[in-house]
Amino acid sequence: MKKVLAIVLTCLLLMPLIAATGAAAGSDEIVDGRFVETKKITVEVYDRGLDGGKTTPENNFYTDYIKEGMLRDHNVEVTFIPVDRWNETEAINNLLAAGDAPDVCVTYSYPTIQTYANMGGVLDMAPYLEEYKDLLPNLWGFLGEFNLYYDRDPESGTVWAIEAKLVNNARTNTFVREDWLAKLGLAEPTTLEEFEAMLYAFKDNAELLLGEDADKMIPLAISYDVGWRIDHLVAAFVPDDLSDKDAYVQGFDDRHLLYPGYKEAIRKVNEWYNAGLVWQDFALYGAGDTTEINLEKSGFVGAFMHNWDLPYRDGPDGIHGGMKTVVGEDAAFIAVESFPNDAGAYRKFLSNPIDRKVFFPATNKEPLASMLYLDWITDIEHKTFLQIGEEGVTHEVLADGAISIIAATNEKIINSQYNIDYTITSNGLDLGDVGLRMRSLGLGYGGVDASYILNAFNASIHEGRVFEHFSCGKIESEEGVDEMLKQKRDAFLAQAIVAKTEDFDKVFDEGMADYLTSGGQAIIDERAAAYAKYYGE
Amino acid sequence: MDITPARAPRARARETITYWKRYWTLYALLALPVAFFVIFRYIPMAYIQIAFKKNNIVMNIWQVPWANNHGFENFIKAFSNRDFRFALRNTIGLNLLDLLIGFPAPILLALLLNELPFRRFKRFTQTIAYMPHFLSWIIISGLALQLFAPTSGLVNILIRRMGGTAVPFLDDPGHWVWTYILLGVWQSVGWNTIIYLAALTNISPELYEAASVDGAGRVRKIWHITLPGLRPTIVTLLIMSLGRILGSEFDRPYAMANKLVTSVSNVLSIFVYNNGIKSSQFSLTAAVGLFQSAVCVMFLLAANSLAKKFGERGIW
Repeated sequence: MKKVLAIVLTCLLLMPLIAATGAAAGSDEIVDGRFVETKKITVEVYDRGLDGGKTTPENNFYTDYIKEGMLRDHNVEVTFIPVDRWNETEAINNLLAAGDAPDVCVTYSYPTIQTYANMGGVLDMAPYLEEYKDLLPNLWGFLGEFNLYYDRDPESGTVWAIEAKLVNNARTNTFVREDWLAKLGLAEPTTLEEFEAMLYAFKDNAELLLGEDADKMIPLAISYDVGWRIDHLVAAFVPDDLSDKDAYVQGFDDRHLLYPGYKEAIRKVNEWYNAGLVWQDFALYGAGDTTEINLEKSGFVGAFMHNWDLPYRDGPDGIHGGMKTVVGEDAAFIAVESFPNDAGAYRKFLSNPIDRKVFFPATNKEPLASMLYLDWITDIEHKTFLQIGEEGVTHEVLADGAISIIAATNEKIINSQYNIDYTITSNGLDLGDVGLRMRSLGLGYGGVDASYILNAFNASIHEGRVFEHFSCGKIESEEGVDEMLKQKRDAFLAQAIVAKTEDFDKVFDEGMADYLTSGGQAIIDERAAAYAKYYGE
Repeated sequence: MDITPARAPRARARETITYWKRYWTLYALLALPVAFFVIFRYIPMAYIQIAFKKNNIVMNIWQVPWANNHGFENFIKAFSNRDFRFALRNTIGLNLLDLLIGFPAPILLALLLNELPFRRFKRFTQTIAYMPHFLSWIIISGLALQLFAPTSGLVNILIRRMGGTAVPFLDDPGHWVWTYILLGVWQSVGWNTIIYLAALTNISPELYEAASVDGAGRVRKIWHITLPGLRPTIVTLLIMSLGRILGSEFDRPYAMANKLVTSVSNVLSIFVYNNGIKSSQFSLTAAVGLFQSAVCVMFLLAANSLAKKFGERGIW
């Protein structure tokens, strides 16, 4: 018995040593779009957890559709690797560092890609995009030069990542309780003053609006990610004549922290916080926490700013849907435009039509198969199926051809809205035809009245501004500081908001100074120099 | 005869063979833990060199060029980094407080439990006191939020209902430190008494009987018998604690922290996490880790030799 045990243990010990290392890549010969030899690739997919009856992201009805299709059309076997959506940067960092990254990676963080590219850890996609252009008609047709070459280095011509296309560039919105406005006889606020007066009205009428729960009243909810959660307010404080150049030079932070006027926007929120208008506990909860969403679902929140369609997502399980059950049928959040800037325009800073960044790590031994994968999921037929699923199960077609989404609960449930986690070259409903898309846009929210969604869409892009894109190559000072600067930004903004009125300037200025000396200023300087180099003064 | 000298080595060889025949299975069993330490503890140490090299984790570690300043670039960068200095200060500060408050707490609890006459009640109390040890810091931080949040926390609601003003347990840096330390004590005190209670059983009951005969009261017995009996254990654990003075846990400060208390909650482990894992500056953070380990070893050695000087056994 002892001997057997010892032998078993020894064998167990030796097993990993015996295990062979990866096989060498075979031939790249292609006949009729199919590899002669079967290729194998791995693809990253975001994991958003299984709440709400979702299926495992790496193995479900839609991954089967992709796997079967890729094998049939290109003779490529696809395996999905789930990566936590809410810690995607850390997760992909770890995978890259360990040499275990999927062949096709996706992230929102370009600095991460640049950092690894500098170490030689990322494949240059440029030669493949050029050489195999004929094999990639969908990729070239849909993304075009703008997205494919968005990150191309102006000098070396390298392309470390291609940018997915943001099909609609609606970004954030300001939502207020429609039913509360009606109860208090208020109109939708159209100026900062009216918005402020509305917050005070919510607070002062807490008993009327919430009854027994009056002490739970939160006129305005924000979160630790202050910049995102006051996006529209910030835009009102930035001078309208901000030039494209300045927007680039001071545009490292995607919350626009470095734009002129930012401090005054925060000062406003600080004033509201001290007046008891802002959720007092906001800073205690971190990323992915659902406390705030639950407060909104429970009907305690009067207003908030967030992703342009957030309250309407997830149908009956979402904020809007949840309120209908908990609060009452008339409870609703509606998107408003309340913050005109110095020129009287309801400005929103919208991004260029770029979204997630797709890249191949250096460990990718099948770049061509990976390129064909990207082309395959970009094909409008495949993409349409992934976005809306089967007719009668996850969508129905209305008389005018519009697509109405049905919230499925079986194994065909769509995990992320329109399956964007699989259509990694595209974000936002894209059915090939703009008219059809617009007719369908409001019907994708599992039972939420379409007028809310169309109103939110229009409010989010009305008088929006997209700054010009400048190809200034890599900015070295941006590498390795992205996450650290984000942490600093979030911390000092939260601290400035909860500061006593008389301490506000001190807290904000110290925080900003620390942000700048920790790398912010170096980025501004290097961007200014790079701009001058390629575009002149 | 000249046979004897030839026989002796053969006999020894036979002995060796018998020995191995009899005991090889034990060595085979030992192979596993030894292999574990070699593979997972010693081989990875080769990667310590990244602390002295340029930041590159894609290249083969032996081919990465040395960092500037004779390889000490990363250390210079760390010490000139404001965040690192704050993290160092916070680490030492929180660990010292932990030592000051968290170290004596289980000794006191063990003494109290030892004085309890009802065995059942003692067992019961002990079990209750252990329980928090099995909760992860993620759960404890969730509990802390439910209890201590400024507006929705149960404790603050109670305080306000009784006419007081809410206490910023979690959102003011000064208060947060105490919440952090006391929750740490609450979590670990019961578990840490186990070792002291075990040591207490080794004290001969005769000593107590003799003391009673001499007319010693409870407090005198604790002072003259119980505490001296515990002294070797206390010293050993103290040395080990001092060895951790610059070490830092990750889950506790990470789970307990929030955006308002970063000035006191950013400790070295969080610095390493933010700059290393999140921002891929692995060389910089390896340098920080190496510095931490070096200081910890120095503290351990110093505490050990100090203990020996005072006549204790030390830990080796």
